[in-house]
Amino acid sequence: MSRRRLLLLAALALVSLGTTARAAEAGPTEVRLDWATYNPSSLVLKRFGWLEEDLGKDGIKVTWLYSAGSNKANEAISSGSADLASTAGAAALLARTNGVPLKTVYVFSKPEWTALVVPKDSPLTSVAQLKGKKIAATRGTDPFFFLLRALKEAGLKQSDVEIVNLQHSDGRLALERGNVDAWAGLDPHMAAAELRSGARLLHRNIDFNTYGTLNAREDFLQKYPATVRRVLAQYSRAADWIRKHPDEAVALLAEAGKIDVDVARRQLLERTQFPDGYDFKPVSVALQTVVPILLSEKLVASDADPSKALSELFLERPSGTFLPVGSR
Amino acid sequence: MLVGADTAGVSAPRPTALRLPVWRTAVRRLAPWLLPVGLLAGWFLATDGFHLLPAHQLPSPRAVARTARDLLAGGELFRHVAASVQRVALGFLLGAGVAIVLGTWVGLSRFAERVLDPTLQAIRNVPSLAWVPFLLLWMGIDELPKVTLVAIGAFFPVYVNLVSGIRQTDRKLVELGQVFGLSELGLVRHIVLPAALPSLLTGLRIGLGQSWLFLVAAELIASTRGLGFLLIDGQNSARADIMLVGILLLAVLGKASDGALRLLERRLLAWTDGFGGVA
Repeated sequence: MSRRRLLLLAALALVSLGTTARAAEAGPTEVRLDWATYNPSSLVLKRFGWLEEDLGKDGIKVTWLYSAGSNKANEAISSGSADLASTAGAAALLARTNGVPLKTVYVFSKPEWTALVVPKDSPLTSVAQLKGKKIAATRGTDPFFFLLRALKEAGLKQSDVEIVNLQHSDGRLALERGNVDAWAGLDPHMAAAELRSGARLLHRNIDFNTYGTLNAREDFLQKYPATVRRVLAQYSRAADWIRKHPDEAVALLAEAGKIDVDVARRQLLERTQFPDGYDFKPVSVALQTVVPILLSEKLVASDADPSKALSELFLERPSGTFLPVGSR
Repeated sequence: MLVGADTAGVSAPRPTALRLPVWRTAVRRLAPWLLPVGLLAGWFLATDGFHLLPAHQLPSPRAVARTARDLLAGGELFRHVAASVQRVALGFLLGAGVAIVLGTWVGLSRFAERVLDPTLQAIRNVPSLAWVPFLLLWMGIDELPKVTLVAIGAFFPVYVNLVSGIRQTDRKLVELGQVFGLSELGLVRHIVLPAALPSLLTGLRIGLGQSWLFLVAAELIASTRGLGFLLIDGQNSARADIMLVGILLLAVLGKASDGALRLLERRLLAWTDGFGGVA
């Protein structure tokens, strides 16, 4: 257990002591959180029922919602239909900048889950050649941000290409049918495209992947910090379990995501790491580089402030100084 | 009450309405604006006024206006509107055109009815969204599936209304035409089609409305521009202000295109003597 994690736990305990004794926190009747194929820990939790087991002791019901992408997870938080939902770090920052009251409370993975994908027999060999081409991506998600940054690196703008908005799984279909020249993919769909149709990764850059983050609705976090902490404890347990049982985790991911075992293996064992879930600093550093893109590509309202949103995004300041739960 | 005052003269026949006192003319002019202005005021009060809803769920009118201005300045708004208008125009012309041909044939011929109508009625009951995956599979993701979907949307109201309009032509008029020795083509041109015209125009108006409906269904999936794209982009990036700009534009464009057809309707049906409602 890292120093930071201890610090956070201690601080959380202090906060809950400050309000009421831990056991006495009037818990919610229900916790609504998402599961997603891009969030392996959520699949483990859902399968083993650890959350139901722990929260059930206090009569708290657990309701699972499916997220098809960060965009959907953000929508669930924004509309108040989820209390906790998983997105890419960049998607959480986008939502927070656009006024959605969420806070990142946990880092569920350090993945290389997105890259630019081209079909097997594509003549393209570099990002610069994408000029004037048609590219599928889900706007508002990590692959979309990845695409924008990869284009920028190659000296291209959003308007130099035609970005077709398609949900991740539809993007894979469009690529395989030849409807688009390239696709900003997301695992497990990306691994499936590689292994099933021989799709090729045109451009990879692990640093343009912005981590998998679990975000809580601010009012829920403020009201039920102890409950959130209990959810996070189970998340850590799930990450531990995956680290210790990689093969079983692969089988589980394959079954829950309805994907082949080799696809799940590539996603989970080759491209996903499970870092200290309470260490937000590397996420924050990665998101610094997203801020200019949000502004230059006009993804946020003209009076929005992504830098300010980033400074308020995490439950704990990346510097290590702890902020009381839910404070701005 | 304003509305009450306006409908007080129930028994007055239409022509006398031309000589209303000034204040009643004013009320009549303002009447269509009461609801929109009231809604706008309510929207303002619920957001900037009393903050009943958080901005990420319902942005204020001012925020939406600013977003619209930003989009307009960047040229994006024009791009989206142009794309959608073009799809609706093409799809509507295509769908309504085919519907007029087939509708006339089915209306006139029992044989054509027996051959075509059962199938068309079955296809008519397929919801718009059910077409989308199939059209994408079949036609890819470019303009063709979108225009086709709009055409499907426009086709059925025009077809159904035209057939029923033709079938409801007064038999005595047709017999009169036959007595006067009109050829079959002459019957169609001078009696059946004019008699079916009111139904056809109603069908065209409903068809145009449906075109916008189907347009959004088409643009929500796999698009790079258009008002449906604007909606989905706002949804994906947590920008309720962008979604509202899209919705308002759809309302305005739908109303404007319907208004254009109504003008046409009034022109073409100037010879009819229908009950026009009370003043």
